[in-house]
Amino acid sequence: MKPRAPLGADLVIPALALGFASYFFHSIAELPWEAKANGALIGAILVLLIALQLVRMARQLARGEGDLRADSLWRPADVTAKRLGMIAVTAAFIATLPWAGLTLGLFCAMLAALAVMGVRRPAPLLGLPLAVAAAAYLLFIVALQSDFPHGPIEKLLS
Amino acid sequence: MSWEFLAGQFAAQFGLWWVIWPAILLGIVVGVLPGFSPQNTLIMLLPLTLAVPVEQAFAFMVSLYCANHLSGGIPAILVRIPGSGGAAATTLDGYPMTQKGQAQQALVLSFVASVLGGLITTLATLALLPWLSQLGLYLRSVEMVVVMLFGLTLIAVIAAKDTLKALIAGFFGLLIGVIGTDHIYNAPRATFGFLELYDGVPLVAALIGLFAVSEALVMIEEKLIVSKEGRERARRTQWADTVDGLRISLQKWWHIVWTSFVGLFIGIVPGAGASIAAFVAYQQSRLWSKHPERYGTGVPEGVIAPEAANNGVTSGSLVPMLALGVPGGTTSAVMMIVLQYHGMVMGPRLFQTNPELAYGVFVAMAVAYIFMIFTILPLARYMARIVLIETTYLAPVIILVTIVAAFSERQYLFDMALALVFGVIGYIAHKTSYHVTAMLIGIILGPLFEQYLVRALRISEGNVLVLFSSPLGNALWGLLALSLVLPYLRQWRGRRRPAA
Repeated sequence: MKPRAPLGADLVIPALALGFASYFFHSIAELPWEAKANGALIGAILVLLIALQLVRMARQLARGEGDLRADSLWRPADVTAKRLGMIAVTAAFIATLPWAGLTLGLFCAMLAALAVMGVRRPAPLLGLPLAVAAAAYLLFIVALQSDFPHGPIEKLLS
Repeated sequence: MSWEFLAGQFAAQFGLWWVIWPAILLGIVVGVLPGFSPQNTLIMLLPLTLAVPVEQAFAFMVSLYCANHLSGGIPAILVRIPGSGGAAATTLDGYPMTQKGQAQQALVLSFVASVLGGLITTLATLALLPWLSQLGLYLRSVEMVVVMLFGLTLIAVIAAKDTLKALIAGFFGLLIGVIGTDHIYNAPRATFGFLELYDGVPLVAALIGLFAVSEALVMIEEKLIVSKEGRERARRTQWADTVDGLRISLQKWWHIVWTSFVGLFIGIVPGAGASIAAFVAYQQSRLWSKHPERYGTGVPEGVIAPEAANNGVTSGSLVPMLALGVPGGTTSAVMMIVLQYHGMVMGPRLFQTNPELAYGVFVAMAVAYIFMIFTILPLARYMARIVLIETTYLAPVIILVTIVAAFSERQYLFDMALALVFGVIGYIAHKTSYHVTAMLIGIILGPLFEQYLVRALRISEGNVLVLFSSPLGNALWGLLALSLVLPYLRQWRGRRRPAA
């Protein structure tokens, strides 16, 4: 027997798109027609396409070809922790960048990300973050002199 | 333009090898890294290009630009992360080839198609320049609106597994692309209160999030990005694989020729660019193929078509800049600034007042492509080995390094956070087959689409029927409808045939 399609997962993008389209319509409601013509046209087509998708999904549900599960989003379950860990490490890296600076921040984030991924051998666990952070320092701070926040390492080496 | 003049130009450009070679190497590095666009690199190097004589400055800029277009396909093939929007279509068949252990062949196909595509269109441009420069004038706002919708529809058709889902992704992207202030009243729309979004959604952050971050989050499900058989093949990479890639490329020479011309003609249209050209070429290649069902599984034509086309764009996009004084894209706009600084006046008279420069640009391009093939081809064997790195190490490096690169476009920390948000959206889209490429192309086209649509509507005082008022536009509408219907028609005929 053919397995049922997890249609709950298929609803996430249309739901996001519909939510965004509603917010978009709300934000342009008071604007002159030139400022809202494009958004209104694209948004209307988007809503129409989502409606078609919902009809199609309803028919699949009625025929018993799918159900409202969304587990395909986090399958295989054994890597979900790694995936969420990577997102959390990246978010923490961005949030702490103004204080830690690029070099130290990237070193710590790489170290944490590798640990989350299950790397335990000291050589790659320390060597890779060191190499990446050093390369980033040389490229962005020394060569390109970009506006990345300066932390303790950059201040020490300047 | 005499043969002696042309020979003299080639000799002069070969003499600038010391400018061209470093520019090629820099262009390759810049192209491989998402977030480092050629225009940003040229802007950073402005002090250098303004200080040297104009011929050297232009040889440098053109070589960097061409090398950048070529190398965007490298990460697209190896790790499914396009180095630029123009290489997004290369992921469709390039990455499946890598998964089958044919990364080296795919890279060689991409390099040869890029170089030959670039070379052929450059030489064609040299011959046809006076006529080509008129082409852009025939496409006005109405036609451009249809061209953009055509581009987006083609992408949805390419993702033919589920056209409806791809269209939803594309129009979602198009709506995201409208975020920011409008062109006339500067009124903010859907900015969520963030000042950083008033200028619109930063394309580099969207590209990095939708492709690099989302792909890395999916990648960790497997130990390596290649299949078991592919692993063995990748371990045994030999020069024979490079030769094999060359052999396939030469067998498909006609494919390279016609898809590069698709790129050239689209490149001439100001604003259309490499992303649309690559997808149009891919779709046309699939449309005329005897085995369209194999596209997306790792067929050589699926790598050749987008790569030849996005390099065909390089010469095309310089045509409106030189002939009309209208830059075809951001990179040519930067080049124009440098040329104007040196006292050059762009436009039709350039060909009379300064033919050495006008034609020399395309000769420099041809010479750069010749240098490029000898520089990059031997590297394919070693580049292909990247697929043997375990995802345990690859995923953290990809996520964190590309998130850092998201900062480079506008120097806002906000863009790094936005790339992460796009990464999560891209991951969900990836897992549920909502075609991230269609979403990205929508985001890229969003601002341009609005510009042309509002212009057309203002001319007609708000009458939507203006979109159906031009014969060329109507022909394009017809092609758009045909692109949507033809795959279904083929499918239907395919189903009927075995029954008969």
